[in-house]
Amino acid sequence: MYELRQVDKHFPGVQALKAVDLTVNRGEIVGLVGENGAGKSTLMKIIYGAYQPDGGGVFIDGRTVRFQNPRQAMEHGIGMVFQEQSLITNLTVMENIFLGCEYGFVRFGVIDWKAMAAAAREQLAKVRLDIDPYTVTSRLGFAQRQMVELAKVLTLEERIDGDLVILLDEPTSVLDRDEVRLLFDLVNELTVRASFIFVSHRIDEVLELSNRIYVMKDGEVVDVVDKESANIDDIQHKMVGRDIDKEYYREQKQKPYENSEALVSLKGVSLDRRFQDVSFDLHPGEVLCFVGTEGSGREAILRTVYGLETPTSGTVTVKNDRVLRFMAKSGVERGVGYVPRERKVEGFVSGMAVYENITLSQMKKYTTAGVLRVASERLLARNWIERLAIKTPDELKDCAGLSGGNQQKVILAKWRSAGSDIILLDHPTRGLDIGAKEDVYEMIREMSDAGVGIILVADTLEEAIGLSHTIIVLKDGHIQKRFDGKPGSKPSLYDLVHHMV
Amino acid sequence: MNLERLKPHFPWLTLVALATVVGIANPAFFDIGGLLLLVADVVPLFVMALGMTFAIYIGGIDLSVQQIANMVTVLATVFLSQFGIGVALVCLAAGTLFGAISGYVTTRLYVPSFVSTLAMGFVALSAAKWLSGQRALSMDAQLRNESFGWMFGKTLGLPNEIIIAAVLLGITWFLQTRTPLGRALKAIGAGELAAVASGLDVDRVKIIAFAISGGLAALSGLIFSVKLSGGDANLANGFLLLAIVAVLVGGTPLTGGVGGVLNTAVGTLIVMVIRAAMVYLEVDATRQQMIFGILLIIAIAATIDRSKLRGVVK
Repeated sequence: MYELRQVDKHFPGVQALKAVDLTVNRGEIVGLVGENGAGKSTLMKIIYGAYQPDGGGVFIDGRTVRFQNPRQAMEHGIGMVFQEQSLITNLTVMENIFLGCEYGFVRFGVIDWKAMAAAAREQLAKVRLDIDPYTVTSRLGFAQRQMVELAKVLTLEERIDGDLVILLDEPTSVLDRDEVRLLFDLVNELTVRASFIFVSHRIDEVLELSNRIYVMKDGEVVDVVDKESANIDDIQHKMVGRDIDKEYYREQKQKPYENSEALVSLKGVSLDRRFQDVSFDLHPGEVLCFVGTEGSGREAILRTVYGLETPTSGTVTVKNDRVLRFMAKSGVERGVGYVPRERKVEGFVSGMAVYENITLSQMKKYTTAGVLRVASERLLARNWIERLAIKTPDELKDCAGLSGGNQQKVILAKWRSAGSDIILLDHPTRGLDIGAKEDVYEMIREMSDAGVGIILVADTLEEAIGLSHTIIVLKDGHIQKRFDGKPGSKPSLYDLVHHMV
Repeated sequence: MNLERLKPHFPWLTLVALATVVGIANPAFFDIGGLLLLVADVVPLFVMALGMTFAIYIGGIDLSVQQIANMVTVLATVFLSQFGIGVALVCLAAGTLFGAISGYVTTRLYVPSFVSTLAMGFVALSAAKWLSGQRALSMDAQLRNESFGWMFGKTLGLPNEIIIAAVLLGITWFLQTRTPLGRALKAIGAGELAAVASGLDVDRVKIIAFAISGGLAALSGLIFSVKLSGGDANLANGFLLLAIVAVLVGGTPLTGGVGGVLNTAVGTLIVMVIRAAMVYLEVDATRQQMIFGILLIIAIAATIDRSKLRGVVK
């Protein structure tokens, strides 16, 4: 019914898609998997009309169609549920559902709110969401918003003739297990109304939900597998193009940490409604990982240790000194380094050279009589470029021009060259390809060997389990459970999830 | 791609092109003596724009500079007899203080800089009116010549005003490129949140940037006041628009982080050439601001970094 034939897409310097074929049949759920940079997002943008293909064609029921923009795609029944939610939070649920389509409810130039509410209830019933359409969206939880988003796309059913194809872009990333379950049931039910294209980096989920799975690598579809014959290892192998090392997380390199004096110690620390009564110790060489769902307080704890947040009660002690003034500046002076989740926003300054970024937190050391010693800054940068194998033409290159993995290395070089011995890593492998992830894992082990204490918020549970000595499970800002993770006796995914939700 | 690489060179290419056009239309423009006079004439504006560069470089703006200069013309005239050349310090301190207050209000009270500096500008204007009794004051000619006469002499054929401008440019360029403060300014302009997360004292650096802006605005007012041998609360009117134009056409965008003081030197010269052209073309003085207003909009639209705006302009 919906078909892409031999679709190509070029960008300056790269061919993002090479002769991609894709078919979606009526009522089918098609999965799309691939590493970052495999071309998934480009393909999706072509499907929902944000990009136009350079070669090949898009066919609906055998007829060529060409979309200039997402609106035209919508008129042909292609809907998109965005990963970063596109609802406007200060509008009501029904205003969001009918945003841009209010004309259907206009009587004598004013909106008939009752009619809109009734229509909204109908849409919400499709996604089995029992909420008042007059509710302001900001009061909904993430899962509910996701459903509203889906309901919004489903309004296409009444608005257009023909079949619907709905794209789901990483819809599970903000949901917990039960919510994922609900979503999957719903999507299965909705296949009577629409076909789905489901994009996720969680292969197990894609496998569970989809009838067929397209595997992408380097802009090409390398395989299409049926649900019955699919197997996670095979798909992973095809995505990566090689076997994943059994020792992916460098578990064999995990050494016990010294149970000596704590580098960081929190006692009964609370921060407003973000987390309550959190206590833990971090020792030299220890990798301590916080796991929990989005909003469980993991990031806030990291930011408190660094000094970006001021706790409302409790004591934070860093190297036997009680922290009284919570400022990033004093965190840095105590030897704490912070690798934030938003690499491009907080991690490095785009527009500044690699060497300038490396010394940004330690300019004092490279200043004599108020003047920067640029030559020694650059020498330091060259040393670290070599040491961490950072791929850059030279230390003068703008950091924004490097790949994500190399940017992450620059940020790590910033803290390690400054001698930070407490490193806070917030999703350090987010958005990196597998090779770059392995580099990060290697560096975590190296730092740990050198006696650096690491607090980690990992991208996935597997990562958390693989990397850490200690796992603390958080739920709604409270510590639920603490696990010891010696190689060989690590907690299982199930153990963790059990306490998370 | 190539256009992006050319972008940093636009300002000086524009300058050369404009100067060539004006020079062809009016060969007298290239007369060295006349040209030096033109440059000397634009020095007070340049000094003000130099200060403004710091506010814009960190992604803010300073709308108080013209009023600070106005206030300083009155201060200088009123206190010249009392302090002699020391009045320069009084003026500098006043301007720096005003700038620092704007910076404090912006960073600690979370008032956007265009509002905080606008408000401080009115405070300065009002102070100028109050101090001058709304009259145009003039300096005692002898006192002026004793204390500041040297400003308008020549050294090796070069007007001293130009030397003052060059020295200030040298100092600010050094500050911008060779000191931790300059690096911090750049980091804040290019990526403020990353600067915060690297442990920089961003508030302090911003306050210093506004203080520098205020201080240089005061110097600009002082030079202008001495040049015209007097002071009044409206003397520097018309400077603000030109100073912003000079910074922006020089290539420091409103979003900050790129450009800097050398760019502003080029930008000021562009303003100078355009002004000279308008005189030559006999554009009426009342219409000149119209042209600079339009030029300002073009300069902003051409230089702004849209990726930093995230699609929303309010």
